[in-house]
Amino acid sequence: MQQSTLIKIVSALEAVVLRSFGPEGGQVLFTRDTGQAMLSRSGTCILSALHLEHPLARSVQIPLSVWKHSRGTGDGSKTFILLLASLLRGISKATSRGPSASNANGFTEAAKAAAAPYFANKLLKLASSDLDDLIAVNVVPYGFCVSLEDFTTHSGRLLLASFFHTRVSHVHCSYLSELTCELLNRWKYKSDLPYISFQFLSDNFPALHTPVSGFPVSSSRLIEGQVIHRDFATPCLPITPESSIVHFSAWTERSLESVIAELQSFGVSLLLSAVKQSDAAVALATQAHMSLVECVSEEELTLFVQLSGVTPVSRGCTIQLEHVAALSLCRPILLGTDFFVSKVNPCSLVICGPGEEQTDQYICAIRDAVCMLMTIWEPKHTSETTASCGTLQSEKGTASLDMTPTANKPYGLKKCVFEPGCVIPAGGTFEFLLSRALPNPSSDTNGLPSVSQLLANALLSVPRQIYSHSPKLFLQAQTRIMSLVQNPSNPFSFGLKESTPGPMVDLGLESVTCKYQLILAVVQCATSVLRVDTVLHTRTALHTQSKKHTIFSRASTEDEAED
Amino acid sequence: MALNGDDEDYEWEPPTEAEMKVIQARRERQDKISRLMGDYLLKGYKMLGECCDACGTILLQDRQQKNYCVSCQEMDSDIDKDNPALNAQAALSQVRERQLAAQTPEVNDAPSSSSSTQASGSVPQPRPEHCEGAAAGGRTPLPPPAVPPPSAPVPATPLPSARPPAPPQSSVFSPVLQDAEEAVLTKLRWATAQLQSSASLEASIQLCSLISSCANSLRSLKELSQ
Repeated sequence: MQQSTLIKIVSALEAVVLRSFGPEGGQVLFTRDTGQAMLSRSGTCILSALHLEHPLARSVQIPLSVWKHSRGTGDGSKTFILLLASLLRGISKATSRGPSASNANGFTEAAKAAAAPYFANKLLKLASSDLDDLIAVNVVPYGFCVSLEDFTTHSGRLLLASFFHTRVSHVHCSYLSELTCELLNRWKYKSDLPYISFQFLSDNFPALHTPVSGFPVSSSRLIEGQVIHRDFATPCLPITPESSIVHFSAWTERSLESVIAELQSFGVSLLLSAVKQSDAAVALATQAHMSLVECVSEEELTLFVQLSGVTPVSRGCTIQLEHVAALSLCRPILLGTDFFVSKVNPCSLVICGPGEEQTDQYICAIRDAVCMLMTIWEPKHTSETTASCGTLQSEKGTASLDMTPTANKPYGLKKCVFEPGCVIPAGGTFEFLLSRALPNPSSDTNGLPSVSQLLANALLSVPRQIYSHSPKLFLQAQTRIMSLVQNPSNPFSFGLKESTPGPMVDLGLESVTCKYQLILAVVQCATSVLRVDTVLHTRTALHTQSKKHTIFSRASTEDEAED
Repeated sequence: MALNGDDEDYEWEPPTEAEMKVIQARRERQDKISRLMGDYLLKGYKMLGECCDACGTILLQDRQQKNYCVSCQEMDSDIDKDNPALNAQAALSQVRERQLAAQTPEVNDAPSSSSSTQASGSVPQPRPEHCEGAAAGGRTPLPPPAVPPPSAPVPATPLPSARPPAPPQSSVFSPVLQDAEEAVLTKLRWATAQLQSSASLEASIQLCSLISSCANSLRSLKELSQ
């Protein structure tokens, strides 16, 4: 496989995301011919919106979106591309230090072709086995742990603010981080383990937020109860605290009257329906003084079921007490120009924005923030997740990818090896410390540069890009951190306790776990693309206009049959 | 394994300064190509699964299903700058090289050279500043016969300098000009043949513009050789 082609592709993707990278990055506005627009600084959103047909480009694009959606960290996709590009360029440079021009070119190419997967395998080995120890010894001591009880204090807000700084305009960072802190606080009661409540929030986020366009973002707030994004089909009737509700999945007209009678016997006053009911049903419900909400979405119903503990009534089922939930409050609310129904105890987030695009951007940012927090507070020694592996195999698209290595090395191997809540000052600190900690042998046994040096150089590209507007700041940051490392008794050190954070913390905070998983994912992606030997163009019967590309990879999958 | 064996062939030496410059120039060119490609991707172009036949860059496709190669169509070619027929700077360098090679046998050119220098009234350097990428021009030593620069056959970049009187050393130029004329005539013949067989309006328009630019080039070359 031509390494140069691969590097060109990844460099083009890097050029796309670099504009939005870092706290100083810009936003990208995508427009469709229909007039619909999307505003984003999220690397995954930007890359997913590009039209990429080259199979190698898609082999980078797809894992990124899969990684994000399947319990990825919610953050770091631009850094992913940056690191991947630097790593591939470093490997190419190392493999091109071949014989001088006087020798036959064929030998150089063959050596190059063999060297790249060699490097990739060594890198993977380094990342899987030694990286976590290196980080634990050389990086973690310079950070500190934020406990969830103290999350709502300075450090937690700082962590969220530095995340939002890379996603939304800096004007709204602090407000959004306050809002998210409040939301997390309100949902903390759910369980003792903070991770569970973060996971709950993340899974049910679609049902827990309401976007409202046309208002300034400062109008966003939390409101009591769960918001059902539908208006009443019947005129709204006052609900007393003793009222109860039941929701239906479907029912037939023939038994309408008997069903209504049965509901009345239970004292039901509100019906939630997943489908649209007939006029007769609506009329009967009105007559029986029951309020009806139709076309409730799946996610909202699921959330309601989870919160209230009832089961929905399905077709053919008779109504039992287990289908009836008690609620304390039910009222219509007007958000923007839409009517909604609000009920029960928990709180829901209303996010406002001047336009639809900005509102979507804030929603994405908050959702990714929750995802990131979930990763940070994941309990130690969680079992290996092969979520990415499974979803990769189900993602076919136009390319039939065989990049998932064999079963003994699943893509996305993630073990939580650090204490939950471990954070470190942002601004390149992690990269400086880790690049310094990586071993630097004078030469490899084969006379080739060492993979740890390759990784160290690639890591340094991140702070270089952060400070790209001022190279002087890069050198200053590097000097400051190196002096701290060499002089640990310095009074201006980072501070190991949250109560004495030190001046470095003003740069913002970032999570060690997220960074570690990011590096793992980058190395795995680099390994899988470097293992590709050749790309064959085939034509399928279905898609005569387009070509289907098949990738063949080597080594451990020699006996792979063609698709 | 190829990496371990053949140690006697595998003696890596650091690249020389010239090689470093070439490597650096190539890297900058690649960076520029990546940036341009990124721009186009953000504009909605599609990255195809094919590479350009000429330069190996990944092809892009616009909304109108037209394929586009960033490096061929937008950037100056890596090697075109060395082609005397297309680049005034390269032509000038070639002329100077030939003159340096022929310098020692020439002994009777001093009077005519000084007169032509004064006649042209230009700076001692033979107008490389007016050529594209003129910085290198200042470094080479001025050959004793002042020579006017050959005008670029590409009509899009006319030289602002006045045409100086033809030097007596026209024999040095004619191979270069003849090559250039040959190339342009070949292209003209090809374009004419294509035009006769072309059925598409767009292609015909483009071929006609090619023919007119070939004609302009020939006119400039003929003026130069006079």
